[in-house]
Amino acid sequence: MTQQQPESRAVALRGIVKRFPGVLANDHVDLTVAPGEIHALMGENGAGKSTLMSILYGLSHPDEGTIELDGRSVTFSSAAQAIDTGVGMVQQGFALFNSLTVTDNVVFGAEPTRFGLLDRRRSRAAVAELIERHGLRLRPGDKVGDLPVGVRQQVEILKLLYRRARVLILDEPTAVLTPAETDRLFDVLRGLAADGHTILFVSHKLHEVLALSDNVTVLRDGRVTLRTATADTDRAALAAAMTGRDVELDKIYPTGSPGDIVLSAQGLTVAGHGKPALDDVSLEVRAGEVVGVAGVAGNGQTELVAAIAGLRALDAGTVTVLGKDIGRLAVRERRAAGLAHIPEDRVETGSAQGAKLGDNLATGFQRRLARRGWLRPGRIRDHAREIVEKFGVRAANQDVPMRTLSGGNQQKAILGRELTHDAPVLLVEQPTRGVDIGAVVNIHRQLIEYRDAGHALLLVSAELSEIRALADRVLVMYEGRVVAELTKDEATYTALGLAMAGGAS
Amino acid sequence: MKTVAVTLLAALALGAILLAATGANPLEAYQAIVTGAFGPDGFQDTLAYAVPVVGMATALAIPLRAGMVNLGGEGQLVLGAISAIAVGLHVPGPLGLVAALVAGVLAGALYASIAAVCETRLGVPLLVTTLLLSYPAMSFAAYLVRFPMRDEGSSLPQSDQLPADVRFTELAPGLFLIAAVVVVYAVVDARTPAGFETRVTGWGPRFAQYAGIDRPALTVRLLACSGGLAGLVGAVVALGFPYRFIDGALITPQYTWIGLLAALLAAANPLGTLVAAVFFAALTSGGFAMERETQVPRELTAVLQAVLIIFLAAATGLLRKRRNPA
Repeated sequence: MTQQQPESRAVALRGIVKRFPGVLANDHVDLTVAPGEIHALMGENGAGKSTLMSILYGLSHPDEGTIELDGRSVTFSSAAQAIDTGVGMVQQGFALFNSLTVTDNVVFGAEPTRFGLLDRRRSRAAVAELIERHGLRLRPGDKVGDLPVGVRQQVEILKLLYRRARVLILDEPTAVLTPAETDRLFDVLRGLAADGHTILFVSHKLHEVLALSDNVTVLRDGRVTLRTATADTDRAALAAAMTGRDVELDKIYPTGSPGDIVLSAQGLTVAGHGKPALDDVSLEVRAGEVVGVAGVAGNGQTELVAAIAGLRALDAGTVTVLGKDIGRLAVRERRAAGLAHIPEDRVETGSAQGAKLGDNLATGFQRRLARRGWLRPGRIRDHAREIVEKFGVRAANQDVPMRTLSGGNQQKAILGRELTHDAPVLLVEQPTRGVDIGAVVNIHRQLIEYRDAGHALLLVSAELSEIRALADRVLVMYEGRVVAELTKDEATYTALGLAMAGGAS
Repeated sequence: MKTVAVTLLAALALGAILLAATGANPLEAYQAIVTGAFGPDGFQDTLAYAVPVVGMATALAIPLRAGMVNLGGEGQLVLGAISAIAVGLHVPGPLGLVAALVAGVLAGALYASIAAVCETRLGVPLLVTTLLLSYPAMSFAAYLVRFPMRDEGSSLPQSDQLPADVRFTELAPGLFLIAAVVVVYAVVDARTPAGFETRVTGWGPRFAQYAGIDRPALTVRLLACSGGLAGLVGAVVALGFPYRFIDGALITPQYTWIGLLAALLAAANPLGTLVAAVFFAALTSGGFAMERETQVPRELTAVLQAVLIIFLAAATGLLRKRRNPA
């Protein structure tokens, strides 16, 4: 473990203040990182992590404070300038050309030339040398589009190394990775740190921060609430620093008592590009049961839920709810038959961002809130108020547009609306994605209460901890098929991780 | 509201500069517009012009509320008018009046439904089907008044005059009919599940699909209402002076396009559409007065209107929506 050494700092942000209208995004934040150190930056949504990193990366200017690199004060006016000075960032979404090779992607924008022409041989040699030196599992000539997500991320890192970045910022880099890919990434990052690179690891995942980093800085409401050596802290302390209170972490709920089969899907098949997006998937969910669907994003989970919900046509297979065949019905009829749905995309699918909160909550209830064909504004308001109160949605009032709510509050509103349908089957996708730790506990408790009230839940989540916490039974999807079915006890991180990578049958 | 007022002032200021640059007195010109639109002589003209503009604006606002654009208003308007005339020439008495109106509504509704079905069944975008189906409708009416329905006593492409008891000799009946439709639209929009579902669809097509709204059925219904109202406007205009169908008479005054503009500016909000349509109608009718009373050339009235419209469009959110889509 490397401790902060005052005499050698790769990065020193001092007294950074950044104001946005009505918000103090960064309030005299200090962040110092030594060369060769892996430093984790933690915080909930809106805590100021992204603002701080965008200041370091030259995307925005601090109102007060200084930035020092290797002891020299710098000011960036663009990301290009930052990268010239040795600061590089891997964003959450990759910026790669899928039809080009690894080499082409890496040298893009800084290609070696000979007599004004591209020097492909030197490009390839330079990239091969970097891959060799850092022990990456990449081949310079592979086409990026053919590579798995975890490997594409290494291409992004390679791009920064090629531009001689000494400080690497990684923003939530494990969000798209399998557990095995995450381990692989951590090995690479440790190697880079040992080579003298400085790593800034932005994350909200406690176990990853504890496993990887040397030191941690935690932000809350724009201020630093904890700065410590990782060895001196633990999960509870980090969570408390992030939320400002004690949080019950990773509670694993006991299994429920399943009743009769409520949702049954048999042989679901949906065509994709080339191979099927959904390939002969069958599953059953009982009343009072949560069936979890695990898997790396893009292995058919989205299509599975869309096919059951009626948002995507089935090419083959049947779906029944309470014995009624709904596989060919319209969405409205499926909902009437007993489906509710908390979608993965809450911005465009789950809500209307420009519409009022109250109208968002009334959507789907418009026929029930009417009497003799007339809507009654009073009842619509009451309906919205009940959901807002019961699910703790924080908003100025129900007339504000949905987009003014934070992600967590939007999710609570959608959750509240769908649970209020009291439908026998709830399809729920990524219920806590982008939601703060404090709210996660709340949402999990609501879902378990809903289960215990005798409803059937099909839960799709990319967070293994969420699957483990909630699911009574786990299906693992890989390349459009269900490759494993595990009981709650069998569903360990190791077993899930193996199956998610296609390693089980 | 404040933004709109400021924009209006800015547009008027820019217009004043343009007017002054051509040697006209801006104050006089503006005064001519106002008295032309609302003065004792002009008010009747303004109302007569506002009725079809408000009607068409509301007709086009109905599908626009769900994010669907009906570009075929002209065709539906003309078919409504020619159908009303055809029926009115053959069914006598007060019954004829009602039958003519009903015929206008049905013709417009059916024709717009064809465009809707082309989208829902065949996947041809509504923008394309409505616009392209508009031309054959106008040509068909032009053919009818040149051959089978031609007024034998005239060399113009126009129909016979309606009998004396199948006429709107005053403005009032048409005005009340269109006003009633606007009220119905406002009430349905705000107070019925169907109106709510239309708004939900306008907020976001994916949200609407997720919430279980049957878009194809809604498309056909909204287009039928839209076309039906356009047909009604055609019938109302045809039943009024000069009590006959004259080829081109419904196209030249630009009822449809001014109406579409009003509906777009108001984001299809019922009351907003009404206000915008009346405003544009007054501006146009006042513009004619300005042309008569001052030395300002015809082209400059059009420029002045364009400046006002563009400024208003910029202020009322067409651009604002683009800027923060998230």
